[in-house]
Amino acid sequence: MSKEILVIGGGIAGMQSSLDLADMGIKVHLVEKLPSIGGKMAQLDKTFPTNDCAI
Amino acid sequence: MLDVGRHPNIDLLTYSEVEKVEGAAGAFKVTVRKKARYVEEDKCTGCGACSETCPTIVPDAYEEGLGTRKAIYPLFAQGIPSTRTIDPDYCRQLNGKKCGICAKTCQADAINFDQKDQVLELDVASIIVAAGYDVFDPSRIPEYRFQEIPNVVTAIQFERLLSASGPTGGHVDRPSDLAVEAEIRELEKKEKKSAKALARFEEKHGEDSETFYGKFQSGQYDDDDHKKWAEKYEAHLAIVEPLEAMKKRAASFAPARKLAFIQCVGSRDFRFYPFCSGYCCMHSIKEAIIANEHEPETTSTIFGMDIRAVGKGFEEYKIRGGNKSGITYMRGRVAEITEGPNRNPVVIYEDTKERKVKAEEFEMVILATACAPSNGIIELSGIAGFELDDYRFVKTSPLSPVDTTVPGIFVCGCAESPMDVPESVAQASSAAERAAEIAFQEDEEKEKAVA
Repeated sequence: MSKEILVIGGGIAGMQSSLDLADMGIKVHLVEKLPSIGGKMAQLDKTFPTNDCAI
Repeated sequence: MLDVGRHPNIDLLTYSEVEKVEGAAGAFKVTVRKKARYVEEDKCTGCGACSETCPTIVPDAYEEGLGTRKAIYPLFAQGIPSTRTIDPDYCRQLNGKKCGICAKTCQADAINFDQKDQVLELDVASIIVAAGYDVFDPSRIPEYRFQEIPNVVTAIQFERLLSASGPTGGHVDRPSDLAVEAEIRELEKKEKKSAKALARFEEKHGEDSETFYGKFQSGQYDDDDHKKWAEKYEAHLAIVEPLEAMKKRAASFAPARKLAFIQCVGSRDFRFYPFCSGYCCMHSIKEAIIANEHEPETTSTIFGMDIRAVGKGFEEYKIRGGNKSGITYMRGRVAEITEGPNRNPVVIYEDTKERKVKAEEFEMVILATACAPSNGIIELSGIAGFELDDYRFVKTSPLSPVDTTVPGIFVCGCAESPMDVPESVAQASSAAERAAEIAFQEDEEKEKAVA
């Protein structure tokens, strides 16, 4: 019996899920295909509609 | 991102892929392949000295091909983890050539060319699929001539041009100009080399190359050494003349100030994806506003069937863009893009208000590409057993939007359907909660059994 969860994909959705679960005290394994997490959102300069910085 | 990297409950497995999923909700057995980075994660400090000395230059996928990186690289400057990775497709050492410069440079002794893939077995209660999407490849639409006309770019390429950490430092430089500048740099290197060779002859014979060449042509010398010198001088002129011409052209290069955005590239198009990608109207408006902030004279025309600004504060953002940021919204679908003078793309469209077909020249055209289902998801659905819908997004039902067809496997973000950042975040929290239910259920069952 395990209390661990696997998240596949380290973009904004995967990171948010992982943080929520980790804050609940659950051990999360976050698997990302590329060398760093961040996904497509890390490529963005700003986000709408507030023009906040994406990173 | 940083929070994810340092959270004690998150085991970050980057540069890794899921190979096998067995078992059922509450007790999945997952095999993960951690690919060899050829850099020891516990030793690498992320200082970047290796990337500086690496001699191999590779097109940068993160910069969407607009910039370059080395064969040993971080995905991007602030990447988590900061551990460098050696690209096995380009690294000289890994391809049997003599190199290993990075290993000599690394003070932490972190480079390990013999590193092997690691296979890990994980026991998990539930799985969340957040595998994302692919950007639609607009070269599939021949009439838009993406890649044929250099100043036609995708929205994500334009995003990199706008970024202060991007290849142009935030200036909207046109790709055709960037190509010329790259050529100039290349020719300058060659010129330096050939000037050095000429200097050796000049020193040896005590004469400058130009006067020598005049004499050579009038037939004063015909020995081998002087013939070689003359050849070198001719080769030098063949470099210098086009270089000077290019430099003259480059002096007049300026950032693009007249932009066209084309909506629904690949989406709402029955040849490709009939669905609406949802976020592209907003990112075109955003990019037009930011470009105008960088260069206040910038004007943009957004060509679309309609502008779908559905979301909190979105309609106000659209109106503000029109009033304050020089955006014109033009209703209609662009028929074709051709190239005009000065490498300017020409957009051919129907003005539906005036009922006229028009052609207008722009300095740059940005394509709002569709959110295409990712290629990797097909493989992953085969491995984990969940079903995909007709377009190849993960199948869900309206009343349980984060449940896949396999109990215990949940989905969020653009792997489920096209959605913007706020929606992805909301769905991610929802999937986290559903996945946690299963993990906690077991605890409760255990407690009951003990009682």
